[in-house]
Amino acid sequence: MIYERRLAWSVLFRLFHWFFALSIVALVVTGFYIGDPWTNTTVIKEGKIFTMEYMRYVHFIAGFVFTGAVIVRIYLWGAGNRQEKIMDFLPVTSRNLKNLFSTVAFYLYLKDNYEDRLGHNALAGLFYLITIVMAVLQIISGFYMFYPESSFWQSCGLLLFGTQGQGRFLHHLFMWYFILFAFVHFYIVVWNDIRCQDGLISSIFNGRKFRPKKV
Amino acid sequence: MSRNVHGFDLEARLNRRTFLKGCAMAAAALGLSDDMFPKLVKAASSPRRPPVVWLHFQECTGCTEALLRASHPDIGRLILDIISLDYHETVMAAAGNQAEENLRSTLERYNGRFLCVVEGAIPTKDGGIYCKIGGRTAMEILEDVAPKSAAVIAIGTCASFGGVQAASPNPTGAVGVRDLFNARPVINISGCPPNPVSFLGTVLHFLTFKRLPPTDQLGRPLFAYGRRIHDHCERRPHFDEGRFADQFGDSGHREGYCLYKLGCKGPETYSNCPTVRFNDVGAWPVGIGHGCIGCTEPRFWDTMTPFYERLPHVSIPGTNGISSSADSAGSKILGITAAAIGIHAAAGIGKRFLKNKPAETDNT
Repeated sequence: MIYERRLAWSVLFRLFHWFFALSIVALVVTGFYIGDPWTNTTVIKEGKIFTMEYMRYVHFIAGFVFTGAVIVRIYLWGAGNRQEKIMDFLPVTSRNLKNLFSTVAFYLYLKDNYEDRLGHNALAGLFYLITIVMAVLQIISGFYMFYPESSFWQSCGLLLFGTQGQGRFLHHLFMWYFILFAFVHFYIVVWNDIRCQDGLISSIFNGRKFRPKKV
Repeated sequence: MSRNVHGFDLEARLNRRTFLKGCAMAAAALGLSDDMFPKLVKAASSPRRPPVVWLHFQECTGCTEALLRASHPDIGRLILDIISLDYHETVMAAAGNQAEENLRSTLERYNGRFLCVVEGAIPTKDGGIYCKIGGRTAMEILEDVAPKSAAVIAIGTCASFGGVQAASPNPTGAVGVRDLFNARPVINISGCPPNPVSFLGTVLHFLTFKRLPPTDQLGRPLFAYGRRIHDHCERRPHFDEGRFADQFGDSGHREGYCLYKLGCKGPETYSNCPTVRFNDVGAWPVGIGHGCIGCTEPRFWDTMTPFYERLPHVSIPGTNGISSSADSAGSKILGITAAAIGIHAAAGIGKRFLKNKPAETDNT
C-alpha cells in the first residue's frame, strides 16, 4: 500500500495541545503542593524562601496559560480546519456515531480494521469535548478562588459550585480527572501508534498524518 | 472610663466618650470618612430612631450573648443604647402576655418603620411545629412581623443560612430568613456568633443612610464580609513562606506558624475576624491557635467538615457512608485505571500470540 503525508493539525492546534499539556503538568505539580504543602521548618529554620508564594505564582501563571489554551481550542471548534471543527468528531452525526461504535470495537480487540480518518475518531473526540468542559469548570473554580472579591466570579462560583470551600474541593477533585485523562490518553496514543499506520504520535509535532494513497 | 481590677466597667450609664468611641469603631468598620462621622453620631443619638423587634427562633442565644457579654460591656451597652429595643426575649423585663402585648403594640405603632432582627433558623417541616413561642410557630411569627418591618437583619449563621440546625439530614427542615421571606430587604450578618461590630455597623448604616449597606451575593454586608479571612490573617506570612503547624502543640504551632495544614478554613471564608477581632481584647480563633471553621459560610457544618483537614471527604458510592479523602480516592481510581491499562495491553499482546500474526502487516 502506498501512503501519502497529509496535513491534519494546524500550527495553532499543535500550540494549543502543548501549552495545554505542559500547563496541566505545572498545575498538577504545584497544585499538589498547595493542597498539601510540606513544612519548611523541618528543612530550613530561617526560611527566606517563599515556597508557597512561589508555588502559587507558578500555579497562577500556568492557570492563565491553561485558560488561553482552552480558549484557543474552543475557537478552533468553530474556526479551525476540517479535522479541528467540532462536528468532525462529535458523535451526533450518523457518520460519527458509526465511528464511535467501530472505534470501541477496535479498542476492545473485537475487530482488526479501523476506519481511516485524518482527524479524531469519535470516541477520542467525545472525551476531548468532556475534557474541555472539565477545563472550563476548572477555570471557573480557579478564578472563583483567584478573584475572591469579584462579584462576577462570586456569582459564577456560587451558581456552579457553592461556597468557596466547595469550589476549592471541586477544583481539587476535577484535577484528578486531568491526571486520569493524561494517563489514559498517553496509553491510547501509544497503542494506536503501534497498531495503526498513520503516525499518530509524530502528528502532534509536525501536524502530518499518513493516509493510504488513492490510486 | 472607670474600671476595677477585673476590667469591668462599673458605671451603669454609657457616657458620651464611650458612645463616640463605639460609633467611631463602627464607622471605621464601615469604612466611612471623617465627614460622615457627625452624621452617624447624630443618627445614632436621634430620639426618633426606629425601634427594634428582636425575634428568637431555633438558636442558642449565642449571638445575643456575644453582643451583651463582651469582655467589658461597652459594645453591648452601646447597642442597647443606640437601638430602641422594644421586644427581645432574652433581655426584656416583660414576660408572658405583657411581652406579646409589647410586640403587638410596636407592630401597630411603628408599622413599616421598625427594624426586625431575627436570631435563629426557622423550622419548616411538619408545619413548623419544632419552634413555637406563645403558641405560634416561628413561621407564623416571621410572617406576621417581617412584612411590617422596614428591613430585616438576620443575625448569626442560623438566621442567615440555617446554620447547625440545617446540617444534614436537617430533621426540622430549618432554613434561613431569606429562604422564606424577601418582601422587605434582608441582610445577613452571618457567623457563629457574628462580630458585634458587624451588627452595630449595619444598624448604624441603616440609621444614618436609611438603607442597608451594600452586600455580596449571599446578602452579607461587604464592609464586614467583603474579604477572605486568609487575606488579612496575621499568620499569612508563614503561609507564604511555607511554614506550617503540622499538629496541635508541635514546635510549628508553638512558633505561631500557619494553621493551614490543621484544616484552617480561612482561605475559603469571608469575614472581618482578623481585623475587627472579638471581645475588644484583640482575640480571635486563628490568633489563639485554632484554625477557622468557616462559620460565616452557608452549610458550613456540612461543607467545612472535617474541621481539622483541608478538604471534605468523598463518599464512596455503594458503601453506605464510607468516605475517603479526595487524594486517596483519586489515587485508588488511578491505580484501577493503571490495572485496566495493563490488562488491555496484555490482552492485545495475548491476542497477537494466539493469532500468530506477523509483527509487520504493512508492506509500504
